[in-house]
Amino acid sequence: MNAYVITIATIIVINAITVVGLNVIVGYAGQISLGHAAFVGIGAYSAALLSTKAGLSFWTALPAVIAISGFIGLLLGLPSLRVKDDFLAITTIGINFIVEAIFLYIPFFGGALGIGGIPRIMLFGIKIKGLAFFLLCLIFLSLTLFICRWFTRSWAGLASFAIREEESASSSMGISPMRFKLLAFVLGTAIAGLGGALYAHYMRFISASDFSFPVSISLLSMLVLGGMGNLWAPLIGALILGSLPEIFRPLVNYRILFYTFLLLLMIRFQPGGLLGEESFARRVLSSVLPGVKK
Amino acid sequence: MNNTLLQIKGLSKHFDGLKAVDNVDFELFSEEILGILGPNGAGKTVCFNLICGIYKPTNGEVSLDGQRIDGLLPHEIASLGVGRTFQIVKPFSSLTVLENVLVARGITRYNSFLKMWSTWKSSAEKKAALQILEHVGLADLADRKAGLLPLGNLRRLEIARALVVGSKLILLDESFSGLRPEEIAKLETLIQNIRRDGITVLLIEHNMRVTMGICDRIVVLDHGRKIAEGKPEAIQQDDNVIEAYLGRRRGVDVA
Repeated sequence: MNAYVITIATIIVINAITVVGLNVIVGYAGQISLGHAAFVGIGAYSAALLSTKAGLSFWTALPAVIAISGFIGLLLGLPSLRVKDDFLAITTIGINFIVEAIFLYIPFFGGALGIGGIPRIMLFGIKIKGLAFFLLCLIFLSLTLFICRWFTRSWAGLASFAIREEESASSSMGISPMRFKLLAFVLGTAIAGLGGALYAHYMRFISASDFSFPVSISLLSMLVLGGMGNLWAPLIGALILGSLPEIFRPLVNYRILFYTFLLLLMIRFQPGGLLGEESFARRVLSSVLPGVKK
Repeated sequence: MNNTLLQIKGLSKHFDGLKAVDNVDFELFSEEILGILGPNGAGKTVCFNLICGIYKPTNGEVSLDGQRIDGLLPHEIASLGVGRTFQIVKPFSSLTVLENVLVARGITRYNSFLKMWSTWKSSAEKKAALQILEHVGLADLADRKAGLLPLGNLRRLEIARALVVGSKLILLDESFSGLRPEEIAKLETLIQNIRRDGITVLLIEHNMRVTMGICDRIVVLDHGRKIAEGKPEAIQQDDNVIEAYLGRRRGVDVA
């Protein structure tokens, strides 16, 4: 594989990891978030600062990075999750702009210059780059998918599905909506933090615009394209939206047009996403593999 | 007479000037079926929502087994063993019928940070949930998406969930409305069976025949106030009740 393909593939896998986090919040618990990039940013900036300023290695900093992202998720989730639907969407947009502004205007976070010189990840004394970094990301993606699968099979996961479907009915069954919304939010933002940390150590230079509102939209598009609430949706969505711009590079002037057209087709014909209930892909898969449900 | 399970004292809920429920008292004895009757807008559902914790009372007390429960949140009251159905059915639409019941079965896990991480996909859980579904006659639809069910079956599903949660008391909010006569008959038997299992039932109902048939006692509300309470036969003869439903008799001064 050449370096170009590996670079694209690595970015796709990092995006998939962050979208796995978004899937927990939006797909499983049904709480719309249009500010997910902010939490990826919090993870990335924490990782960058802990490695450049505190001199920690990626591995020693990682638990702290995940904890910081989850904790800030908790702090921001507490007030935001009191509102629902459109209001929550607007609140999370607000979070995205505020977090981006903090990165941009506070000198501690590098301001407009961002943070550079982020060291490579070391493992057993070897610098991880290229294919090795891609494989490392794949391992982390598998880990997050494993955690998600566990979550969907747990009572906590079932409680979040119930909240997504019908909040007041869920509370009449002993489910505290606030507790489980927060739980999903913290889990989702912590996973976003992991994605951010990988991003920072891969790019080795980050700036506030890497985590701006349009990035949140593109992360959400990946999830919607794959099919919200489906375990594999983040991977499929990140793969398609990550590779299409590269495949259609010759049509560079029409890329956005093509992309928009694709999204419109999805909304019209496959509103549940590619892996959604009774989608075309599912029907084909279920006729080929008997184990796949329609 | 059995001991008191639920006691309502001076219960009021005012929405600004509107007195939706105004100084209502009644009690519910264990293993009793008590009906709340009243014309539209009488405050029946508000009364339910006060008991379930969806609204906080403006005044008054609600006690379950002698313990004050007003001011608690809905999920806390549910955890005390109070199950309810909704007048406008609220299924978890994209979950299966079986999963809907499993959500209710999780009530003993949702409050423990350890237990909530164990799995709900066990055969023991599935078996227990299927048993409940058999009880309400939905076992053959267990793997169907709840959103695809017709109203009659959704009402049964609501009762199934309420049965799991309501180890002490279940509140049925117009569970009979919109049902065909044969469905009503089946549901009546179901509710009588529930009581036989030692669970107390409080129900809101518009259908007079049903209420008169299955309730031990009836409380009648009108404009947020309790206007009558007693055995079904006595309620049928009560002048205040007749006036509330049919208006004043011409030439006869009821008041």
